[in-house]
Amino acid sequence: MRSTFAPLTLAALLGAAAHFGILHYAPTFIMDRAYTMLGQRGTPLHGFNLAPRMTAETQSVVRPSPDLAYSACRFDLSSAPNGVRVAMGQFSGYSSLSFFDAQTNNFRTIRGNVEAQETVLLRPAGGTPYAPVTEAEDVTHSPSQKGIILIRRLAPTEEEYVAAAKAAQGDECRAL
Amino acid sequence: MKRLFIWLGFALIGIGIGAYSALAMSGLLPGDRRTGGPIEVNGWHGDFAMGSAEASPYFRARIARHGLLALANTEAVYFTRLTDDSGRAFTEDCTYRISGAKMPARWWSVTLYNESNFLPSNTDDALSFDASRAGDGPWSAIISPQRPSGAEGWISSKAGGDFDLTFRLYVPDDGVLESPVEMINAPRVERLECGGDPA
Repeated sequence: MRSTFAPLTLAALLGAAAHFGILHYAPTFIMDRAYTMLGQRGTPLHGFNLAPRMTAETQSVVRPSPDLAYSACRFDLSSAPNGVRVAMGQFSGYSSLSFFDAQTNNFRTIRGNVEAQETVLLRPAGGTPYAPVTEAEDVTHSPSQKGIILIRRLAPTEEEYVAAAKAAQGDECRAL
Repeated sequence: MKRLFIWLGFALIGIGIGAYSALAMSGLLPGDRRTGGPIEVNGWHGDFAMGSAEASPYFRARIARHGLLALANTEAVYFTRLTDDSGRAFTEDCTYRISGAKMPARWWSVTLYNESNFLPSNTDDALSFDASRAGDGPWSAIISPQRPSGAEGWISSKAGGDFDLTFRLYVPDDGVLESPVEMINAPRVERLECGGDPA
């Protein structure tokens, strides 16, 4: 009994480490793969890319909605020390501008409300000083250096997708 | 030497159990499809912590695999179901009727996904049914691999295999997050027939 106590303790410790290690790193790992895959499929760093209408052939992320037009931008604040200016062009239907960190959290969403929207994405608070932004500018702090920005526009038909594509011409994701 | 193997054996068993339990509890094992969640409304399951920093590590890992880039609950809430109203698993071999009424949200949709969490590979251009097609009153749509003959709405299950459905509510009305069961009259899904035989 005594001789197995120490190995059992080791097994329990290693088991707990493996368990919580997987839980901690799995979302980051999956998000990193999505980040890389979006890049390989044409979504630039600091630039929006409007995906074609969602079909079996065009989908690149799990469970896309075929009723929405998606524009994605990848950000990496380590290569944009002054931040990233993010704008969503005006759209008459439902639209949203959402920000996802490296842990997959949706840390901010700005609703379109039939108006163009804009914010400046900055590094996590507590880092090196930010480039000055005017008081009038909306500011969003990212919890992580890397992440994905997604614009959703309601476009259940081909006609509405064309309208969404036109609105997407007003989108901006630009390193400052 | 024997002692070394004992230590090594215990270490490997510990790591194996720890890793397997993490994968199983967070839906990362092959074949696990549920986004799941503690909230059940008419057979649909959801978790309003989706997309939130408050989500448990288990649920965050599950969503990373099954629902990456989901919105936080103030913007959208998500429910999934894998079975019809009688509790039988969905399959493209059967025909179903999904029905509901006005939903407490600015916009809603029901979308069909295959076992891999992707849209099934067909060109029917009918993988979802949404508020813009439903109108303001009661609505229904047929879920089947072939286009139905009537004027009813249609969600194509062609190449869907053992599919599941995701129900999205965008910009939910006030009160939905606090009282989802009372506020959401989630769609019913009735099995009509299988392979020509009545359900």
